[in-house]
Amino acid sequence: MNLDWLTAHVGMPLVKILILLVPVFTVVAYIVWFERRVLAFFQSRLGPNRVGPLGLLQPVADGLKLLLKEDIVPANARPFLFKMAPVFSFFPALVGFAVVSWALPWVTPSGKTHGFVIGDVNLGILLILSLSSLGIFGIILGGWSSGSKYPLFGSLRSASQMLAYEVPLTLSVISVILLAGSFRLSDIVAAQQSLGWYFLFPGLVAFGVYIVAAVAETNRTPFDLPEGESEIIGFHTEYSGMRFAFYFVAEYANVVLTSVVATALFLGGYDIPFVKDAALYATHPRLVSALGVCSFAAKGALFAYFFVWIRATWPRYRYDQLLRIGWLVLFPIAMANLVLVALFKLWLLR
Amino acid sequence: MDGEHMHPEGTGLRGALETHEVELNLGPQHPATHGVYRALVRLDGERVVGMESIIGYLHRGIEKWCESRTWTQATPVFDRLDYVGAVLNCHGYVGAVEKLLNLEVPKKAQYIRVVLDELQRIANHLLWLGTHALDVGAQSMLFYGIREREAILDLFEAMLGQRLLPNAYPIGGVRFDFPKGWEAVCRRFLEEMPKKVDDYETLLTGNRIWVQRTKGVGVIAADQAIALSLSGPTLRGSGVNFDVRKALPYSSYPDFDFEVPLGQNGDVFDRYLCRVREMRQSLRIIRQALDGMPEGDLKGKVGRIIRPPMGEAYFTVEAAKGQLGYYIVSEGAEKPWRVHVRAPSFINLQGIETMCRGALIADVVAIIGSLDIVLGEVDR
Repeated sequence: MNLDWLTAHVGMPLVKILILLVPVFTVVAYIVWFERRVLAFFQSRLGPNRVGPLGLLQPVADGLKLLLKEDIVPANARPFLFKMAPVFSFFPALVGFAVVSWALPWVTPSGKTHGFVIGDVNLGILLILSLSSLGIFGIILGGWSSGSKYPLFGSLRSASQMLAYEVPLTLSVISVILLAGSFRLSDIVAAQQSLGWYFLFPGLVAFGVYIVAAVAETNRTPFDLPEGESEIIGFHTEYSGMRFAFYFVAEYANVVLTSVVATALFLGGYDIPFVKDAALYATHPRLVSALGVCSFAAKGALFAYFFVWIRATWPRYRYDQLLRIGWLVLFPIAMANLVLVALFKLWLLR
Repeated sequence: MDGEHMHPEGTGLRGALETHEVELNLGPQHPATHGVYRALVRLDGERVVGMESIIGYLHRGIEKWCESRTWTQATPVFDRLDYVGAVLNCHGYVGAVEKLLNLEVPKKAQYIRVVLDELQRIANHLLWLGTHALDVGAQSMLFYGIREREAILDLFEAMLGQRLLPNAYPIGGVRFDFPKGWEAVCRRFLEEMPKKVDDYETLLTGNRIWVQRTKGVGVIAADQAIALSLSGPTLRGSGVNFDVRKALPYSSYPDFDFEVPLGQNGDVFDRYLCRVREMRQSLRIIRQALDGMPEGDLKGKVGRIIRPPMGEAYFTVEAAKGQLGYYIVSEGAEKPWRVHVRAPSFINLQGIETMCRGALIADVVAIIGSLDIVLGEVDR
């Protein structure tokens, strides 16, 4: 163990984590602002516009307010699980960002390269999938340990919803993995770059399934049943203050992560559209890296906008309808699509 | 309510396969019960196996209160029954007193009343549509509904000086003619509104999720609906053609050409469709009333102090929620001896236990929305 090893395996990742956490938290905070503003424009009103210019300080004010609220643990709750559950929800949502590759590696003037990723592990996408299943335990435990009826219904709904939508989600991701031949997110993007087109086109069905399942996975309209604020108020009915904020942040972190993963899988991630990235990278590496991050962010923002658009337009599905769609529509489609993609890969992409 | 069997440790002790029904209080503080309505629901999973309505949280003793006020003084309090359809409530009461007085309301006043009544009906249906859609999860609809309702409330404000509870009509006629320029604004509203209704229908009627959430949900058959004496769109959704404006005409309604929209299946979707179509019919009626506005007095011959002759009268109007009836008894004094209100929300609410049988929690919320209840009227 020498200093170089420590720098490479401890120092740099720590620095990168800090560098990544700041924008991730900022994006998560501002996606709430973004959603409220966009929803407001859909609904012919203004949205938050009082705190700071254009209401840009609203997330700060909201955070402060929640921080200063009393932390209530109901008498009927199981205190330990009740307190831990929001963390359970919060933590996996953030860890997923660690394996996302944000751009082609940064080349310093001295010739060293630093990857735009904390840990480019070879099972990146699998890690994200398993973490997102873990995150749902936060909801299940939170609802169950509240010792109250409405949250219990929320967590029961969440449990069955997770089962119904995790499977098609994974199947749609597998078809992309098949096309790319790797679980590593940077490899998936590289495969799209070398092929010259995004997986959106051979994987259109997979993309559709992914979008629907991802909306269900992040508990958003029209699949926001665990929350279902006009029916069962939600799994977090009994939560207050910062513990509630943890759930809230986790939901939006999941929205961001889902958008990011969808971008990487289907829209070419940090690939800059209409440009031969590899050729340009050889001559202007730093420009391509910087533009890559921007391209990634822009594509991700499209997804985020799409999520808000759905929320502004559609009513909520009912519990039994949701499960029927998951098991009887999405699952067969995803399965058939997987077989088709496999044949496509076998015969056409050799 | 015993919290014991819901406690996590309690559930653990009862063995893995034992199941039991859960009693759930939907309300009185619940975002989708439209006020302080409380439904005690027994659930098997999410399926409703039993339901009990508990009301009375908003009881204000309005009927009794009237007995200590003069006939005129009692008028404004009826606005507070169904506070989103106040003009129609007022019409019911003054109509009953006029019937007891045997008073002929001038034709012009009748037409003005029709215009305001129908505007109020649209305003009520807009608020209902917004909140109902919000209950089913389509939140944008609420804001569109409120936006158009605002235009109507502005018209009320310009004419009556009040937006929500305008105390619209005095006994014997109307207080004012339309102010200058009012009719033009109203006609512009009539022109724009049908397009807005088209928009709502695009958002909801043709929406897969909306149809799946509402079709076949909360069904009540025509004979059951009649047996429970439901009225208004809640009854017509089941295909029963009963509209007070046609069946027991009042206030020049026979002068106007309009249809009564009917449903077929008596489910949430049909009740929704009835109300949306009613909005279009109301627009038609207003247009005809404005076009055919006669000249004449605004108020019939009525003294400053009203002493109806000894006797009783029952007068009903087609309020936004259904048949709103006033039964009044006079002893020939300055004050009513008894005023009884047949509140459509209260009677329509009886249908909920039939409609909710075998439904899921999410359906209960949709059904409550489709009944269009206002608790001010249920509890009085």
